[in-house]
Amino acid sequence: MKELRLVVQKFDPFSDAAPRLVEYAVPRREGMTVLDALLYARDYVDHSIGLRFSCRQASCGSCGMKINGRPRLACYTQVDELGAEKVVAQPLDNFAIIKDLVTDLGSFFQRHREVTPRLVRDDAQEQDHPTGEYLMKPEELSRVLQFTYCIKCGLCTSSCPTVATDERFPGPQALAQAYRYTADVRDQGGAERMAELDGTHGIWRCHFAGSCSYVCPKGVDPALGIQLLKRHVMSGRPPHSKDDATKVWKPAEKQQ
Amino acid sequence: MSSGAEGKAKNRRGLSGWLNPYHYNFERWAYVFQRVTGVAILAYVIGHLGDTSFFVGGPTGTGPSESSWTFISGLVENSFGHLILILVVLVVIFHGANGIRLIVSELGLILGRPSPIEYPYRPKSLRSVQRVLIWVAIALALVGTGWAVLILFGGSI
Amino acid sequence: MKESRLMLLQYSTAVLAVVLVAIHLVMQGIATPYSTAISYATILSIYRTWFYAIFLEALLVVVLVHGFNGVRIILHEWRQTAPWSRWVDLGTVVAIVATVAFGSRTVILAVFGGVAG
Ligand code: HEM
Ligand code: SF4
Ligand code: FES
Repeated sequence: MKELRLVVQKFDPFSDAAPRLVEYAVPRREGMTVLDALLYARDYVDHSIGLRFSCRQASCGSCGMKINGRPRLACYTQVDELGAEKVVAQPLDNFAIIKDLVTDLGSFFQRHREVTPRLVRDDAQEQDHPTGEYLMKPEELSRVLQFTYCIKCGLCTSSCPTVATDERFPGPQALAQAYRYTADVRDQGGAERMAELDGTHGIWRCHFAGSCSYVCPKGVDPALGIQLLKRHVMSGRPPHSKDDATKVWKPAEKQQ
Repeated sequence: MSSGAEGKAKNRRGLSGWLNPYHYNFERWAYVFQRVTGVAILAYVIGHLGDTSFFVGGPTGTGPSESSWTFISGLVENSFGHLILILVVLVVIFHGANGIRLIVSELGLILGRPSPIEYPYRPKSLRSVQRVLIWVAIALALVGTGWAVLILFGGSI
Repeated sequence: MKESRLMLLQYSTAVLAVVLVAIHLVMQGIATPYSTAISYATILSIYRTWFYAIFLEALLVVVLVHGFNGVRIILHEWRQTAPWSRWVDLGTVVAIVATVAFGSRTVILAVFGGVAG
């Protein structure tokens, strides 16, 4: 059987002075994902490999790591597609390392929360006790749909050059979600979100390097969302169409 | 966690995240060059303020002075100085043309609109118009450079 | 100040710079042979037209505002402590004022200064 050379960056911040690369030999089979290879190494060679995963199907966002230099989901990357003899697994850049391949996503989730990632209505009574369903037309949905697929895996934020140095920049994931809610016709929270995001460390610290969209495994295209937010702020026009701007979105009348 | 462990484990890429686009997309390289050329041009401009000031006798001069200008020309108008000028032409044209691409894109104009995803998915924001425009910027910069080489090293000086 | 205002400044100086830098390059390289363009006599005669003095002044302001505001952006992205951020903003203004003043001095003296030997 062909062998795969699997290299894992190991580092325990409590006891190790510096990260080191350790190589494991793993039997290679067709269709094997990098997560499969890592699990083999952990189960049969070195029980101490620190690893996080859950769904194994690109839905939970917990297995993000740097594979052969680029952020990817281990469960969604086949060894064969890398076209390399050697697979190098390292923790995601820009996130604190907990141990080996496990990074701390806590502050990343906090950034997400800070952009108010939910629909906001001016009317507090209506917000808590809606009088009906808020229906969207298909074209209105398609304006935000791809951004709703975000699984918060952190790949985009680890690829971002601004995040590499700017600790106050929310990062592509949070900004894409700011777009997702602001561009939703049912939302009225855009002005408040933008008050924060039009500051020194907001959307303008994006320079459209596009790496976030390049690495996103879910087709979210954060760079697109961020540029559309910039257009929204620069033009003063809502990110949805002009017609929507003039009317306040109302709950649909109860059917029956 | 002790603060020492925290520092070691922080793992932000730092300046290499700005300067090393390896493993990433083509547009990321354009980002690096936009930044590096911007700073380089500014450095040149500041120097250029210095050398042009010798037209009026240097920083402490009081009016047009031919001897002062002849002095500075002797220092900067040589093969090395002209090589610098050619590099400046190269980076200015790239920075300017790529800058126009960035302005237009950052105002959301040539990106396309969000749409339902079909696999295999290619991000709309990275569709081919971006790469084409970056190549146009590179081509314009090279043409301008060729022109500068002709003028400065073409023997017609 | 809203950052979008400063980016509007960055974009508009960029667009102006395209025009002004292009004129500058053409005047130095195409309109006249390079050696003539940089000769003392040519510069003296051109400088003393109002049109060219105003053009140079515009080039000066536009390019320096754009360039130093660009560096301000880079420095904010580099570090984020409160004193750093304050000094970066202040330093940007000081740098623009100082360099524009120095460049303007050259232009003004070239136009109005007494001609020395
Ligand atoms: C010729 C026309 C020019 C155009 C169209 C232009 C365009 C631009 C644009 C659009 C940006 C923002 C890029 C972004 O959002 O990431 C930028 C940044 C910058 N520009 Fe220019 N520029 C020009 C000339 C200059 C000149 C002459 C200088 C030097 C004095 C300069 C220095 C800079 C600097 C330092 C930055 C910041 C770089 C960064 O943030 O990555 N530019 N330019
Ligand atoms: S936008 Fe994409 S890459 Fe970023 S966290 Fe969401 S799913 Fe992951
Ligand atoms: S294990 Fe859930 S995304 Fe990979």
